[in-house]
Amino acid sequence: MALYIARRLIWTLVVVLAVLGLTFVVFYLLPAGDPALRFAGRSPTPETLAEIRHRLGLDHPWWYQFGRYSWHFFAGDQYGWPGLGYSYSGGFSVMSQITTRAPRTLFLIMGAAIIWLTLGVTIGVISAVKRRSWIDRAAMGFALFGLSAPVFWLGLMALFIFWRELGLPFDTGYEPLSAGVWNWSRHLILPWCVLALLYAGIYARVTRNSLLETLGEDYIRTARAKGLSERSVILKHGLRASLTPIVTMFGLDIALLVGGAVITESVFNLQGLGWLAIDSALGQDLPVVLGVTMLTAVAVAVMNLIVDIAYAFLDPRVRTQ
Amino acid sequence: MVLLLAAVATAIGVAASVGSASSGSAKKSLAGGTYRIGWDTEFGWTDSFDPTGEYLADGFGIYTNLMLRTLVAYPHTAGPAGTKIVADLATAVPKPTNGGKTYTFHLKAVKFGPPVNRLVTSKDILYSMERLANPKDGGQYVFYYDDSELGAIKGFHAYATGKAKTISGIRTPNARTIVFNLTTAEGDFLNRMAMSATAPIPVEVAKCFEGKPGAYGRDVVSTGPYMIEGADQVDDSSCSALQPMSGYDGQTNLTLVRNPNYDPKTESTGRLALPDSFVFTVDTNTDDIYNKIKAGQLEQNEVSAPSKPIREWATNPSLKKLLHYNSGDGTYYVTMNLTQAPFDDIHVRKAMNLIIDKDGLRKAWGGPISGTIATHIVPDSLEGNILKNFDPYKTPGEQGSLAKAQAEMKLSKYDPGHTGKCTASQCKGVLFIQGERFQDTQMTPIIVADAAKIGITFKVRVAKPAYPVIQTPRKNIPISERPRWFKDYADALTFFAALFTSKAIIPSGNTNYSLVGITPAIAKKVGATGDLTNVPSIDDKYAVCQAQIGDARVACWAALDKYLMLNVVPWVPYLSAYNVYTLGSTVAKWDYDQFSGTTAFARVAVKG
Repeated sequence: MALYIARRLIWTLVVVLAVLGLTFVVFYLLPAGDPALRFAGRSPTPETLAEIRHRLGLDHPWWYQFGRYSWHFFAGDQYGWPGLGYSYSGGFSVMSQITTRAPRTLFLIMGAAIIWLTLGVTIGVISAVKRRSWIDRAAMGFALFGLSAPVFWLGLMALFIFWRELGLPFDTGYEPLSAGVWNWSRHLILPWCVLALLYAGIYARVTRNSLLETLGEDYIRTARAKGLSERSVILKHGLRASLTPIVTMFGLDIALLVGGAVITESVFNLQGLGWLAIDSALGQDLPVVLGVTMLTAVAVAVMNLIVDIAYAFLDPRVRTQ
Repeated sequence: MVLLLAAVATAIGVAASVGSASSGSAKKSLAGGTYRIGWDTEFGWTDSFDPTGEYLADGFGIYTNLMLRTLVAYPHTAGPAGTKIVADLATAVPKPTNGGKTYTFHLKAVKFGPPVNRLVTSKDILYSMERLANPKDGGQYVFYYDDSELGAIKGFHAYATGKAKTISGIRTPNARTIVFNLTTAEGDFLNRMAMSATAPIPVEVAKCFEGKPGAYGRDVVSTGPYMIEGADQVDDSSCSALQPMSGYDGQTNLTLVRNPNYDPKTESTGRLALPDSFVFTVDTNTDDIYNKIKAGQLEQNEVSAPSKPIREWATNPSLKKLLHYNSGDGTYYVTMNLTQAPFDDIHVRKAMNLIIDKDGLRKAWGGPISGTIATHIVPDSLEGNILKNFDPYKTPGEQGSLAKAQAEMKLSKYDPGHTGKCTASQCKGVLFIQGERFQDTQMTPIIVADAAKIGITFKVRVAKPAYPVIQTPRKNIPISERPRWFKDYADALTFFAALFTSKAIIPSGNTNYSLVGITPAIAKKVGATGDLTNVPSIDDKYAVCQAQIGDARVACWAALDKYLMLNVVPWVPYLSAYNVYTLGSTVAKWDYDQFSGTTAFARVAVKG
């Protein structure tokens, strides 16, 4: 098991380095306009542009810029660890911008994840057990709706119905926890539900299909023949074996949402990491874009690692390979 | 008789005191509250709210109305009255001496807000000018003060390039006096000194941000009626102790509260300063902003409203009175490159003006609610309405005229058969740069279809963003519908200087898209290629107008505008845009600041 974990850790490091290199190439080397021009303003002279390029460190060779960035990423810089540099726009440290925005995104993801996991797995189990009944059809219809409805539409409809028409205090924007649990949560309830609806649909379908497949296995028939209760057969024997794809998906979904819940963040004015990435990309604020991308990549890599380790516990065959 | 006069005088006195008490009590009853503004998507500062580098209207609107006082300013109201220069920090608007080359200002006793808390001196204004000159501090509009460019303050360029330790053209004989010596008489020098970048900056705070453009934006020290919340908590004893003011987080929220050091008795620009605070909050959901305005959670949006809420306000009887239109003093246009075929032929450019459905282009922006059809370069408000009825390419309903366009095209060298259609190969597959906005996707098909009627076909390329592409002369872009231009201050020079002089042609960030006045030497420098043989220049006419003052100056600019439209034809102007504000029912008083083209925050009030 220790060897398995060690092998996974090394691969995680390799993946992070590869992403660092690719991201640097995409944002710094491929032609996307001159960031210095973006910050030079009206009618810049060549001297002004040269001054800006020097200040932003863009006048060094690419390999120097990459080496310096990589070194700071692992060793830290004057703003702390990891060293992500400073924003071209305003000179704020990238790390401070990420740490300011990250709680919004993380709370959004965590709350939505609890809802979609609970809802999705429950619906999937019920649907599998009551296969072909009206409950199954209703549940899968609900799942299809969640999968099909665009997130931005769901968000706008939720705001229209619950906030504007019904006058419920589920507002847009973000309040930190320090403003009180109620003030914090009432700004997140609608985004949680909207984001969870999409994933609940997916998880319900995957759980149903996976459980149905497992319930058809010989050992399940054996368990029933031995006289175990149906509840025990389904939840203890059936669901456990069905969880492998759920765990895989969950890890990846959480990691990708770290930088990718842009639409939900935009509709509900949460201004989390996803919005930070988009806004910075449009403004050619490359260090911020690179910082958020690296954070997402590390999150994906770490979650993959956790998922792989979880596999080893769930499925003994994995750790003996 | 004496008794009668005394009675009349008493009556007048009583009436006056009642009037002033009424206006005073009216002002008092409007005072208080928090004025809340929703900001669409992002603040979009050009220099992170550092006044030295901010060059867009949003920043100017907040600075000039609420936070920063300049030597001279504007009355923060709409229309021509709003573009009249008045004294702000100066005791009076000075008359230039020395043949129009010397301006002497005497300062009022005005204090900086916290954390500086001392009187503003002439050296603070000198410092802000030096900061503007220093390329390491990210100054914008430097060309308005640089004596090597548009011609202004003596010694500015030498200081900016490190050849001098001071700006020789600025003297501070005492703490209350500052003198500017110019290289040539500049009729709009006072307008330039009303720009926010010239507001005094305390060196004890700003020195901590030398060489870090934008960083001062989180610690801007106020001289106006409001300051950034938390300014009084900042420790300016040393740079290491200096922290950002808590009321501005740099990206999502800006809160301004009353500046305790502001003395209304020194006010001469009409700032009323009625609300107790202003809160500007970024909202990434535009619909949400307007929903909140209707729900009474916000007073207004910061920028001109898009067409959807404008239509809603315009068609709702209870909201209609809360809809305000004002001239944005800007022109939207299709630009044509005079060095690139087929637009190197003036007849083709004129034909484009005659064929394009300008009314259709305006529809893309929301129709008549978005503005009036532009028929020449500079908005009428900047040219004293001299060209109000000037429409050299008039067509029925401004929807284009095939007959007129064909008649013009027949005169072109690209229509050798005189068929009224451009038959030369140079007219086929012409590169057309389309912008990234929603309206660009609506306008491009109109322009493409109209041009095809006179034989010009385009190869449309969408550039996201478009400005870096069209602002690079070596890319030789023939045509684009993306540009629009707004005044910097109420003088037409702010159009002509950057858009049509040969000096304005630069390798990157070029705004003379048409390359008017380009010479072979300039073309070589910027990498532009194409036909340079017939590109006219307006430099000499521009120089004549630049030296004028008063009505003669305005008339000169109008004449130059006319000349450009008839003899150069670099654009197809199509829209003189309005700035439209959709207010909430909680707004008790509102005005428009014609200088900045934004809300006159200095003159708003919110219901208690």
